Amino acid sequence: MRDYWLSKLFFDLQDPAKAAEYRAGRAQVLARYELDPQVRAAVEADDVAYLAPRVNPYLLRFYFLVAGMSEEEFLRRIRATGGNNG
Amino acid sequence: MAELAGIYAASHGPLIIRKWDSVQPAHQQALTGAFTELGRRINAAKLDALVIISPDHWVNFFIDNLPMICIGVGETHGGPNEPWMMKEFPHQTLPGHPQLARHILDTALESGFEPSVSQRMILDHGFCIPLLKAGIAPLPIVPVVFNDIEPPFPSVRRCYAWGEMLARAIRSMPGSLRVGVLASGGLSHSVGEATMGLVEEEFDRECLAHFGAGDPDALCDFLTERLPRVGNGGSEIRNWVAAHGAAGGRGFDLINYSAVPEVIVGCGFAAWNPVRQA
Repeated sequence: MRDYWLSKLFFDLQDPAKAAEYRAGRAQVLARYELDPQVRAAVEADDVAYLAPRVNPYLLRFYFLVAGMSEEEFLRRIRATGGNNG
Repeated sequence: MAELAGIYAASHGPLIIRKWDSVQPAHQQALTGAFTELGRRINAAKLDALVIISPDHWVNFFIDNLPMICIGVGETHGGPNEPWMMKEFPHQTLPGHPQLARHILDTALESGFEPSVSQRMILDHGFCIPLLKAGIAPLPIVPVVFNDIEPPFPSVRRCYAWGEMLARAIRSMPGSLRVGVLASGGLSHSVGEATMGLVEEEFDRECLAHFGAGDPDALCDFLTERLPRVGNGGSEIRNWVAAHGAAGGRGFDLINYSAVPEVIVGCGFAAWNPVRQA
């Protein structure tokens, strides 16, 4: 099951202006989304394993590019989940 | 009536554009050769319009409204909005073909399909990478989005039947248009999941053998069973299945297959020789 507001956040950050705003200060952007506290904490902690089953994999991958995680680090973390997040 | 003048398929993948310089020279040569041959065939067909079947990579649709199939019926469509693609793609808009699109829509509705309709679709890299890399001369586009990206997906058999319907629609379109069909996507790839980066060459080659064997039932059975167990990008092979349906399940001609780990895609390129109607 997808988390709607998490998915909406990642979807909206495809807009370069919103992505720039997010990179400049996450809290202000996160406040606009009705994220469950655990989900928000996972976003703030860059917790790939927690977020992966809750959002489409394409949006997940895109989000961590926007958030500034290196491709190598994302690959390391997503491969470590070992699970099906589709 | 219009003629179904050519049916084609090509892979796409952002890294073909974004990290081209990182692709090994041998793979660059294979991809360039394949795109060039695809473009040569499409341009030689002297098409008046091209129906492109591609996924939507979260550009037009979101999980609050995610059609299984959508037809772009507008006069004009937006070009890609991905910043890296906008730098490379020379057009901000692409012309549609509303008359052909509307005829396909009407035929679909009369045939038991209920597609969504878009009056103006943004054509992301799935549509535009083949147009760009194959050097396809500008022509009106009828975009068709298949949901290949977020479960639940249209069934493989439904995609095949859509292709059969598409061929009937094109061939019953009044006038003398020459129309092509291009499936964009596949073959195996995995994005944002634990197997990310894995190219499943053995699966791809088995899949291509099924396309070549001319047994649509066996192809549909194979993909229905295997697609849930390969990387998520493999879902885009549904678009190839629709092209295969448009060709009546015959005439598959593989232009090139290359497993290209640098772009994390099993890259396939093909054409079908459509069965001419009496």
